[in-house]
Amino acid sequence: MSCFDPVKWDPSWHRPCSSIHEELPGNCLTGPGKRPARNQGHSYLGMGEEVMVAVPESVLKKQKREEEWEMAKKQELAATKKKNAENRKLIFNRAKQYAKEYEEQGKQLVQLKREARLKGGFYVDPEAKLLFIIRIRGINAMHPKTRSILQLLRLRQIFNGVFLKVNKATVNMLHRVEPYVTFGYPNLKSVRELIYKRGFGKLTQQRIPLTDNSIIEQGLGKHGIICVEDLIHEIITVGPHFKEANNFLWPFQLKAPLGGLKKKRNHYVEGGDAGNRENYINELIRRMN
Amino acid sequence: MAAAARPLVSVQPLPASLNDMATDHVTTVALPDVMKASIRPDIVNFVHSNISKNSRQPYAVSKKAGHQTSAESWGTGRAVSRIPRVSGGGTHRAGQGAFGNMCRGGRMFAPTKTWRRWHRKVNVNQKRYAVVSAIAASSIPSLVMARGHRVESVPEMPLVISDSAESIEKTSTAIKVLKEIGAYPDAEKAKDSHAIRPGKGKNEEQEAFRNIPGVEVANVERLNLLKLAPGGHLGRFVIWTKSAIEKLDSIYGSFEKCSEKKKGYVLPRSKMVNADLARIINSDEVQSVVKPIKKEIKRASLKKNPLKNLNVMLKLNPYAKTARRMALLAEAERVKSKKEKLDKKRKPVSKEELAAAKAAGKAWYKTMISDSDYTEFDNFTKWLGVSQ
Repeated sequence: MSCFDPVKWDPSWHRPCSSIHEELPGNCLTGPGKRPARNQGHSYLGMGEEVMVAVPESVLKKQKREEEWEMAKKQELAATKKKNAENRKLIFNRAKQYAKEYEEQGKQLVQLKREARLKGGFYVDPEAKLLFIIRIRGINAMHPKTRSILQLLRLRQIFNGVFLKVNKATVNMLHRVEPYVTFGYPNLKSVRELIYKRGFGKLTQQRIPLTDNSIIEQGLGKHGIICVEDLIHEIITVGPHFKEANNFLWPFQLKAPLGGLKKKRNHYVEGGDAGNRENYINELIRRMN
Repeated sequence: MAAAARPLVSVQPLPASLNDMATDHVTTVALPDVMKASIRPDIVNFVHSNISKNSRQPYAVSKKAGHQTSAESWGTGRAVSRIPRVSGGGTHRAGQGAFGNMCRGGRMFAPTKTWRRWHRKVNVNQKRYAVVSAIAASSIPSLVMARGHRVESVPEMPLVISDSAESIEKTSTAIKVLKEIGAYPDAEKAKDSHAIRPGKGKNEEQEAFRNIPGVEVANVERLNLLKLAPGGHLGRFVIWTKSAIEKLDSIYGSFEKCSEKKKGYVLPRSKMVNADLARIINSDEVQSVVKPIKKEIKRASLKKNPLKNLNVMLKLNPYAKTARRMALLAEAERVKSKKEKLDKKRKPVSKEELAAAKAAGKAWYKTMISDSDYTEFDNFTKWLGVSQ
């Protein structure tokens, strides 16, 4: 339906007490050559007499246009529905595959450890590829260089958290901001819970909650990540598109840890909270998520 | 707009008893372009308020007022205020305050001067715009009625009568004429009954009509805004004579053609030729390129936690249902098997089972003590350090 109702010829358009015959441009459309039947509608007076009413051509055109729009809309709807159904299947299978993968990984780790113990040696885990950093100090009284580094890490607020790939560059950055952050190696449960509960995506500079897979598809579809499970998998296995996936995720806004921090001012190894706490970050995430 | 598209205005004939012109019945005149000019009440208001200042006469107080005394202040120390007081004695006036605006008999604050700026200059084009607007407004019945004229019985607007009206000499015939053309009810309106009758302004016509209260006659070549839009309000009731209305075209020109009487003057163009927005929007030209209206506006819904809300979880991850189902089944299985194991352990062992267990123990011991039969010797060596 258009914003305005289609204009109907209104006899009050004539001036009162005037016999001026004006030529309105609209009337040029319905010239004398048209067949009267096409433009005529029927209206009935109270007595039951039929009166031929001219339906303006613009009204007919509008009706036709609206029909076309409706049809196009219906087609589009059907197409998206079909696509959604297909996607659903794909997502299901992917999630199943990932679940199997994670289980296998876990089992494999246990098996390797047992094997090593059996032989009398030790199994050394490979160095972690993924870090989760949480900013634990506020914004006042900070050296400008460390402030810039924290901004680069997207940690602009206290108890903000981000994922980070481990390489020489990032490790050196972390070293410089150690007193302001705590970080460690998150496990699958941490990643899953963070993304499901506090996951927001960045779409056109806006922080949009991840309430539907379509949002993720909109943001990361071109890298083949179309659902939450894909995203989680990319993060945790630090895949080829980790950078894009991680940047798509808005920095996590965590709550202050239940049970409190030990001592912000000290390093973790000194009994405080700052710096690398490796696997114990997971326990902190449980308390902050 | 082509001149050919000008609507026709019919000229009202006067009663045959008045004139000897029984020849023409209903003639018509093309509507002059002036009547189609844009009506700008804001310009009319501005021009009117300025032009109406031009016939003012200056007023001022005498410049000597209040100063025709030799008053001087007594100064302090005399228990009176320091206002200048009239010197001398022997009369009431002595010692009274003088000069100040607060004093009785003193001069007023800011005595008015004759050189106050009484007259206002208005740009010629603006003045012409206003007159043109007022003329156009006078041809629109709704505006005329809104101003208060009783024009319900007038056959046509603008009201044009034949030129024989110029030869009317008696006021009574003038009134009859007004009655014939349906303009008398307006004239009867005692207080606000003003109707102008621009004609060619010959003396006869003027004489006849000027005694009717509220009627003014004007020469079409010299139309006055103060008369056309009294008080700055558009829509005075105007009765034209045929030759007057024919002259309008030459006086004001058209939208393209310059006026003959006013050098280089062209009628003002409106900002929007077609101001009927509803019509424009509903026109085919606009509607054909318009996009369909969005009826369903998507609004952001409250985010629900998928870890707690199963439906929301399923929306994001359809596999979650089977995963959870499998987990529950596995859990049930585990519980069951543990229970079974415990039950079995807590149940007192039957004789046959006891006997079987003992026999198995004995057999194993036997294998242990015979070195070569021992299959798990490797493990044994590791923690005992013995070799075979």
